[in-house]
Amino acid sequence: MASITTNGPDNGADRDPVSVFERHRAQMIRDRMVVNVTLGLLFVAFLAWSVWISRFTPDRLATGIPRIFEYFGTVMPALQWDVLFDARNEAGRFPAGSIGYWYNDFWKYLRLIWETILMALTATILGTGLAVVLSFLAARNCTPYPWVGAAARRFLEFCRGVPEILFALILVFAVGIGPLAGVLAITIHATGALGKLFSEVNENASMRPVDGIKAVGGSWFEQMRYGILPQVLPNFTSYALWRFEINVRASAVVGFVGAGGIGAELSHTISFYSDDRVTAVLLLVVLTVTIIDLLSERARHALIGKESLK
Amino acid sequence: MLEFKGLTKQFNDTVAVKPATFTIPDGQMVGVIGRSGAGKSTLLRMINRLNEPSGGQMLFQGRDVTALKGRALRQWRNECAMVFQQFNLVGRLNVLTNVMSGRLFHHGFASSMMGIFTAKERAFAIRALDRLGMAHVALQQTDTLSGGQMQRVAIARALVQEPRIMLADEPIASLDPMNAKVVMDALRAINREDGLTVMCNLHTLDTARHYCDRIIGMQDGIIVFDGTPKELTDRAAREIYGAEAEEAFSEAMTSTTLRPQPAAQPEARRVVN
Repeated sequence: MASITTNGPDNGADRDPVSVFERHRAQMIRDRMVVNVTLGLLFVAFLAWSVWISRFTPDRLATGIPRIFEYFGTVMPALQWDVLFDARNEAGRFPAGSIGYWYNDFWKYLRLIWETILMALTATILGTGLAVVLSFLAARNCTPYPWVGAAARRFLEFCRGVPEILFALILVFAVGIGPLAGVLAITIHATGALGKLFSEVNENASMRPVDGIKAVGGSWFEQMRYGILPQVLPNFTSYALWRFEINVRASAVVGFVGAGGIGAELSHTISFYSDDRVTAVLLLVVLTVTIIDLLSERARHALIGKESLK
Repeated sequence: MLEFKGLTKQFNDTVAVKPATFTIPDGQMVGVIGRSGAGKSTLLRMINRLNEPSGGQMLFQGRDVTALKGRALRQWRNECAMVFQQFNLVGRLNVLTNVMSGRLFHHGFASSMMGIFTAKERAFAIRALDRLGMAHVALQQTDTLSGGQMQRVAIARALVQEPRIMLADEPIASLDPMNAKVVMDALRAINREDGLTVMCNLHTLDTARHYCDRIIGMQDGIIVFDGTPKELTDRAAREIYGAEAEEAFSEAMTSTTLRPQPAAQPEARRVVN
């Protein structure tokens, strides 16, 4: 018993398990320290480089930040309390300072917001469908041939690597100005992003049911449809809903290059008027995105909650 | 008749199954025993080609099934159903759909992708479930079942394939003795009543002796025993289980409760029914 705490007679300090362990531990701490210090220095160097390139200096911030507020000052509506809720006057116009005057184009905005949401919805449905198919080809455990898997993964990387706005620019040129270009652009990007997430979910699925379906004589499609899909469907749904949130924001932006939705109107008001119409549109966009985020978050949580009960 | 002609399997530089040559006549119930890692599983999985043989041939009714590809291979898999140690059911689908998936080979692309099964298939599946005493859970989600129930569902899925051979890879290794008995009785009944060839990997010696017409013993990828349960003496069994027999092989350790015990058997039946 004593030999646990004291060294045996022929156990030198270099063979004592405690000192062996302590030496090993000290060595590991030294190694870790070297790595941490190196990484820290690299970080500082890159930070300095980036500050230098962007000329991120206090005096530029000091002059620039007030200008942001200045801009918002010019686009703020000049609302007046006494006429705020006034209806149209006899000339058929809203009095200056009323909400009606500020939101003179309300129905047009609303139509464009609805168009934006529909664009996002279509792109999400198309993108999810394509991503489901591609994710089975791309997942390492599912792919029918390794080269098909590699090709599918490269294709998905390309789809999500190119920003939506760039696809939108090219597609506006190809199919013309309007929502179709936007929907296609967002679909491509969503396919790439969802396909990657879906294929990772597939890779975590159990292969046992796949073996089961294989053993009854099922084809590759049947192995995926019955072996994998039921396992991953809740995750797919959750990711698709989350992507819908992102797509609503994206479809509000692609309008800047003429690919449909509210973005075109926003871009138009900013470059032509820069008055209270900018805030009118912006407020609606923010409201829409927030509401959709909240709804989709609820749906996702309900889905996850239902899952965890099992 | 299933003929093995030098069937072998090599993983990189280890030989899992050394050239195996033997014949299984139709309607036989064969048990394959041996220590884990002896190559039992690989041998069984080579039959329906879940593992590709590295050499040799396998003939079923004179047809070479080692050379099959594509649809012909899937047809062969449909003909030789398999039951797995871990059941390999789709946990998130209901029991009925799992059983009906045994019919997938006969489906076209559209109907299988959309999960459309006919009333006839449903009836067939329910009959198979009923035969195993599982019809009452047909609409339950499969992962809510116990291990023993899942294995019975898996056997029902195998039955609706209308197979010629039933392969069972350690069907009772994950089950308690009571369920093990139910499952083995079911396999035995299928063998006796339907005349199916059953080939079954077992790690429990008693089970093999009790249920099988013929026992094949494997050791390090070689078939070292092939005979009737009577011929499988304790000495022969010790040989199969290798040099460490004295430690590894103990009747008590490898037994289920299947050894004839007049007092225990009636009670077991009562609990199951």
